[in-house]
Amino acid sequence: MDFFLHLVVTIGLWIPISMGYTLLFGKGQVMHFGPIGVSVACGYAIFVTLGATGSYIAGIAMGILVGTAVSLIFAWLALRLENDGLGVMSIAVHLAAMVIVLNWTDVTRGALGIPRIPRMPFLETLPMFALAVTLASLFWIALFVWADRSALGRQMQALSESESFAKAMGVSRAKVHTIAFVLLGLAIVSDNVFFAQYIHLLHPNDYHFPTFIFLLAIVVAGKPGSMVGAVLSSILLVLLREGLRFIDLPISVLGPMRLLLFGVILLTAVYVRRDTLFPQKRTV
Amino acid sequence: MSILAVTHLSLTLQDQHILKNISLSVEEGDVVGLIGPNGSGKTTLFNVLSGFLVPTHGSVHFRGQDITGFSPSKRAHMGIGRVFQNFGIFREMTLEENVLVALEALPAEQRKALGNLKEVVQGTLEMVGLSGHAKKKAGSLSGGQMRLLEIARTLKSGKELFLLDEPTAGVAPKMTHQVGDLISELKRDRKTVLIIEHDLPFISRVCDRVIVLNVGEVVLDGKPSEVKQHRKLQEIYFGADPTS
Ligand SMILES: Nc1ncnc2c1ncn2[C@@H]1O[C@H](COP(=O)(O)OP(=O)(O)O)[C@@H](O)[C@H]1O
Ligand SMILES: [Mg+2]
Repeated sequence: MDFFLHLVVTIGLWIPISMGYTLLFGKGQVMHFGPIGVSVACGYAIFVTLGATGSYIAGIAMGILVGTAVSLIFAWLALRLENDGLGVMSIAVHLAAMVIVLNWTDVTRGALGIPRIPRMPFLETLPMFALAVTLASLFWIALFVWADRSALGRQMQALSESESFAKAMGVSRAKVHTIAFVLLGLAIVSDNVFFAQYIHLLHPNDYHFPTFIFLLAIVVAGKPGSMVGAVLSSILLVLLREGLRFIDLPISVLGPMRLLLFGVILLTAVYVRRDTLFPQKRTV
Repeated sequence: MSILAVTHLSLTLQDQHILKNISLSVEEGDVVGLIGPNGSGKTTLFNVLSGFLVPTHGSVHFRGQDITGFSPSKRAHMGIGRVFQNFGIFREMTLEENVLVALEALPAEQRKALGNLKEVVQGTLEMVGLSGHAKKKAGSLSGGQMRLLEIARTLKSGKELFLLDEPTAGVAPKMTHQVGDLISELKRDRKTVLIIEHDLPFISRVCDRVIVLNVGEVVLDGKPSEVKQHRKLQEIYFGADPTS
């Protein structure tokens, strides 16, 4: 039962970020490779503030503030760089965030991470935690499905098919892409509020590049731009990943093996979708 | 007051003078043809008019307002509509979405003034005989159907000035007359239309005035019947020595 609830929590934490990312990267074809950079900023904003003030409300407010600010920085970059330039730059921003977290030891405790993170009073039991994560996840599913079917989703798709055609009709790329970046950022804040509470630990290792590979694997395998795909793929890949725990291998072997597996899943998914993943942009 | 006024407009790209000192004005309700050999700068002129390129010199005025530095989307909101040479239709989206996305791109007041968007979408598809295909992907349409849809979408989203880049290109011969009919409808609605076109009989049929562009310059401007007879036109198209 506990393992089942653990799966529910883990899946529930991957769904919001995957949906937000499939909207921006899948549907909008914006080469934002830094969502985990946003995530690490949110995680530390929330729990450093919690540590300093003892207030979850203050922590969450700071998380929303930092999550929005970092998302706006990425959106600003996205509007000023070509897509490939953004790809490289967003990886650099993620790395820069990691360097700050690892070296600003007075505040972040660096590579040690922040241990003994308390859960909110009503989240102390596993069933309650699973329920809360599920409710949050359902909220994000409803929000992203709605956003995807609204003008926002159509304008994202139009911009990705031809920026010129979309602009000539009056679509504002700045507005549409900024909203998508911020929605993704807020979904990431929501995930971070729960994640470190769940494992009672905020650790930089959870925000390294392999985490991004896993996210990318979910979105690409689930068909980029598909909201239903992102949900199903989150469920499937989390089940696969957690299932690997039952293979009787030392952790030193299992860790790299997992990464390799998701690398292979990502490669396969990219190969299968090679024609639609990065279609030729049409110009005037 | 002219709806569109272009004054001493020049454009230099990568040291090439693509447009040279172009001045022209267009009155509301006019249907004007823009012709000239390939590479003479017709599409480039449209790119300047719709805001994708900023001229090196000169200005563009729309209804008396200087719009030279305005973005494409701002110009679209003001009522300038563009129909692209290579079909400005989103092929991966359905017909319905293709119309809807144009309506939703309007500023809030304009969108509200349209009333129920679903009905406008339906009306747009009916206008071009595609209402039975609302849920189909636009990529499945023929060239002619895409062109009709694009023009109708531009009309229904409240545009006043139409920039049509080769509306008969990629359209089956039996459908070009439908495109012509739709343009005549724009004219009846007192819309202003600029048409780039190679099909001279088509131009003669739908336009009141023809402007001829050659190597980035306006060389002729007049009634279709006059321009067609003009010696310069023959020279441009058939390469006679202009000094002879
Ligand atoms: N972005 C650009 N950069 C450099 N040259 C361009 C650009 N766009 C168009 N040109 C050049 O401008 C000239 C006019 O092109 P165009 O306006 O497309 O002609 P057409 O009259 O056939 O529509 C061509 O020689 C073309 O190569
Ligand atoms: Mg052209």
